[in-house]
This record gives sequence, C-alpha cells and structure tokens, in this order.
Amino acid sequence: MPAPVTFRRVPGINQTRKPGTAEMHLKVVENDTDERFLVEAAQRDPSCFAELYEQNFNRVYAFLARRVATREEAQDLTAEVFHQALAGIGGFQWRGAPFVAWLLGIAAHVLAGHWQRNPKRQEILAEDLELAGNDGSIERRAMIFQLVESLPEDQRQVIVRRFVEQRSIKEIAQEFSRSEGAIKQLQLRALRNLRTRLRSHHEQL
Amino acid sequence: MNSFSIADELDQAVCNVLAGVETAGVNADLEMDELANIAAELQHLPQPQFKAQLKAQLTGRTVFDSAIVEPRVASQIQIARIRRETEIAVLPSLFGNSSDGYPLHQRSMAASLFMHVSALALVVVSGVWAAHHPTLKPTVTTTVISLADYPLPPSATVSHGGGSGGDRDPLKVSNGAPPKFSAEQLAPPLVVVRNTDPSLPVEPTVIGPPEVTFPKTQTGDLYSKLLVPSNGSGFGGGIGDNHGTGAGNGNGPGVGPGSGGGIGDGPYALGGGVSAPRPIFDPEPEYSEEARINKFQGDVVLFVIIGADGTPREIRVQRSLGMGLDEKAVAAVKNWRFQPATKDGRAVSVQVSIEVKFRLF
Repeated sequence: MPAPVTFRRVPGINQTRKPGTAEMHLKVVENDTDERFLVEAAQRDPSCFAELYEQNFNRVYAFLARRVATREEAQDLTAEVFHQALAGIGGFQWRGAPFVAWLLGIAAHVLAGHWQRNPKRQEILAEDLELAGNDGSIERRAMIFQLVESLPEDQRQVIVRRFVEQRSIKEIAQEFSRSEGAIKQLQLRALRNLRTRLRSHHEQL
Repeated sequence: MNSFSIADELDQAVCNVLAGVETAGVNADLEMDELANIAAELQHLPQPQFKAQLKAQLTGRTVFDSAIVEPRVASQIQIARIRRETEIAVLPSLFGNSSDGYPLHQRSMAASLFMHVSALALVVVSGVWAAHHPTLKPTVTTTVISLADYPLPPSATVSHGGGSGGDRDPLKVSNGAPPKFSAEQLAPPLVVVRNTDPSLPVEPTVIGPPEVTFPKTQTGDLYSKLLVPSNGSGFGGGIGDNHGTGAGNGNGPGVGPGSGGGIGDGPYALGGGVSAPRPIFDPEPEYSEEARINKFQGDVVLFVIIGADGTPREIRVQRSLGMGLDEKAVAAVKNWRFQPATKDGRAVSVQVSIEVKFRLF
C-alpha cells in the first residue's frame, strides 16, 4: 500500500535568491501573434510543432528537472509532456495565455501522475503542485541550458562531459589529450561565458 | 588570485555541486558564488542528443542513431514513444488522457467503463431473454365456409328463398303444398301437367334443403287461396304468378315470395350452382387486449349474408368466443368486401359462415 503523501511548505523563491542573481520572469515569446500563428499552424499540420518545441523545450525540461531526482526522469517526463501536447494540440484554445503555460499545465499533470506511480517518494513539496508561471528560476535555468548550446565547441564539450556525464577533470583531459589545468581553464571560461551571456540577456529584458 | 587558482577553486566548487554538497553562500568571492550557482544549474543539463532525438520523434523524421545516443536512454525514449503511439492509436481516453492532453480522473474512467459494460450486458441479457421468451404475436385466420356445416335454426319472422313460375294461365296459382326439395332441379313443379307423356319422366323438384319435407298433398302455392288447379299466371315453367321454376310469388327455383333457391325470400346458400363469394378486401381483425393479456385463443364463427353488391350484412355471431374477440371479429368482417356469389352468371346474395381463428404463438 503506498505510503501517505505529506506536504511541506518551503520559503518562496525570492527569499532564497542570491544577491546579484538575475530575476527573470517567464516571458516566452515577445509577440503573441507570432506564437498564436505557430500554434494554429501546428494544429493544421503537426509537423509544424517543431518550432513550438524548440521555443519551449528548455522551459519544460527545466520545470521538470527541478522537481525530479534524476536527469533520466526529467527526460522521460519531458518526452511524455511533448507527446501529450502534440496529441492534444488540436484541442488547444488560445485564450491569451502563453503557449508554455499550457505546456507547463500538462507537465504538472504528468508530474502528478509520475508521483502517483512512484509512491516511494513520500514527501512532495507543496510548491511543486503549483504551476510555475511566475517562477523565475525556471526561466533562469532554461536560459542557462539554452546558452550552453551557444558556447564555443571546446567549452561546450567540457561542460557536457563534466556536468552531464559527470566525468572527472582527469578523464576529460585524457580524452582530449590535454592537461588537467587546461580542462579546468576551459571549465572556468565556459562558466564565465555563461554568466556574461546571462547578464546580457537579463539586461536586454 | 590568478586564473589557475580560480580554476582550481571553481573545480572544487563544481565537485561539491556534483557531490550534492550545499554550496550556496559558502564562497566569500561573489564571482565564485555566481559561477557555483550556474554550475548547480548545469548539473541538470539534459543530454545534448536528447533534445534532437525527441524533436525527431515528434516530427517523425528520424530513427535512433545508436552511435550517438546512449542505448538505455534511447530505449527508454523508444518505449515511451511506442507506448504513447499505441495509447493514442487505440483509445486515448482509455489510458487517462483527454483529447487536450490533460490526464483524466481514473475514478471517472472506471465509472464510465462500468456503465458501458453494464449497458452492454443489459443489451445482451435482454436479447437472450427475448430469444427464450418470444412475444405472443396474435394471428387471425379467417375462412369463408359453407353454411351447410353450421345448420341454422329456423327463423320465426324471416323467411328466405323464393320461387315462382307459371305457364301464363289466366288463373292465379292454386293452393297446395310445395313440391319436393332437391339440391338440383331437373324439372319444375307443375299443378296442371300439360305434357302427360314425357319422353324422359323426371320427378319435379324445387331447389331447397332436401331434408325438408312437406305433406303429400296437391302441389301448389302455400299462400294461395284458389282451389282450382292452376300453374299460375307467371312464366318460366314452375308454379306461381311470377317467373322462375319454383313455387310461389317470388322468383327463382325455390319456394316462397323471395328469390333464389330455398324457402322464403332470403339469399341463396352455397352449392347447387351457387358459387362462393370471394373476399377481395379482408382486413385482419385485431386481437383484444383482454384476450392478449389472458393468452386466450380460439375460433369465432360469424353468420354473414353477402349481398349481390359484395358487401356483408346481417352479421351475427354464430359461435362466440368472448374476451372481446367476438366484437373484434364482427368489426373487421363488417369492413370486408367480396366478389359476390353468382348463380347462372348472375350476382346473388348468399349466406355464409366466416370462421375467424384467433391464435397466440
């Protein structure tokens, strides 16, 4: 029999934010008309769903990754969300809210189903059950994920091996036939690059 | 602090992040703290091929490339995709997903499934029950039969049949008993025999019930008061003042003031050269509700006179059944129409019995 689920209220995001970190708000597409056009196109032709996917993948993944334990879970749930979205986009009705809000609604339901299927997790944060429409941390994480793709290739390779594959500096150095110090320097430059671009993006907002 | 020492310090912070050690706020250097925060976010970075792989799945363009995709992840995604496609293809809502992608309540799905199964079971059970308990469908069979099968009691006030004849004698027909009845008339009756030496002597008769006999007295008209023998002033060869080959003031081969065969003034009976009427419009009688409920069945016999115009009249119940079936039979037969009976090519009235069979099966 599944263990009873308990809820625990945690402090708000703003209370835990570090000074100097960018406060971002969910802002999906600057022009609602463009997004609406994309949605209508995808409703007529599902192959047009790719553009909506590109625009919203990182946000959905960031929302889910923050609420599950492992990367594999986050990826599986993200895939499920987009499959459900593609299947149900015909029934989507534009009501002025950004498309990502609908996606995050699906993600919340998928997440709830995931928790029901995994009763081992006995404690669920009450915050997790709320939609993250005003959660700046999601936008920040999504932006970081997106900026990684724009890093120089050598820096991106180091980030992927270090954080995704969780390999040591020594292992990476052996793979690239470089010194450990060089790999650490690449890691430092990559993170500084991300910080700079993150600030630049924040200033543009 | 030179860049090498910063790189070492950052790597140590990254190691702490990857090891799950809380790093927020532990770094005195603001830059290091920012970089550590970014590193904390990066530990959730998706696998680089995952995004492209999922996109390919959604757009249906690609097959997994095992060279660049980790087999375990690829299989998970593949399984998820197959499961999803199967669910959508078979019955999306069956697996808890509504048309707009939101999950449905399992209880509602279970209740819906229960109701559908119940309805289906009800249909099947009712069908089986109906097959074993067929509806009692009433059937009614009607038959026009000869009156001879159902002897009628003599009427005290109404007589039937009729006949006349005569040989144009100046005198009216004389009094006497009717001649002998027979089903077929070969020679008309005569009071005054003109041909005393016939080549083929035949007993004169009139058409009527052979079992009816009269006293053996002088042949003549029962209603005449004339005692002088006379065949009558009529014509046709019989006895009377009208025409025909019978006896009386009617016409035809019978006896009495009516017409046709038999005695009296009524219609013919079937047989003896009288063809049976043929129903041309015979709506089926209804089954009475009372009889249907009580599962009552049987036969009703009606006495009917079919006029020369083919319409039934004087309908009487000859054999009653009750339960409202008599009335239903009479009401139906009243609307019947017949091709009239004929005698010598001429439409005549006949009396028939109609048997109406009410059956439940």
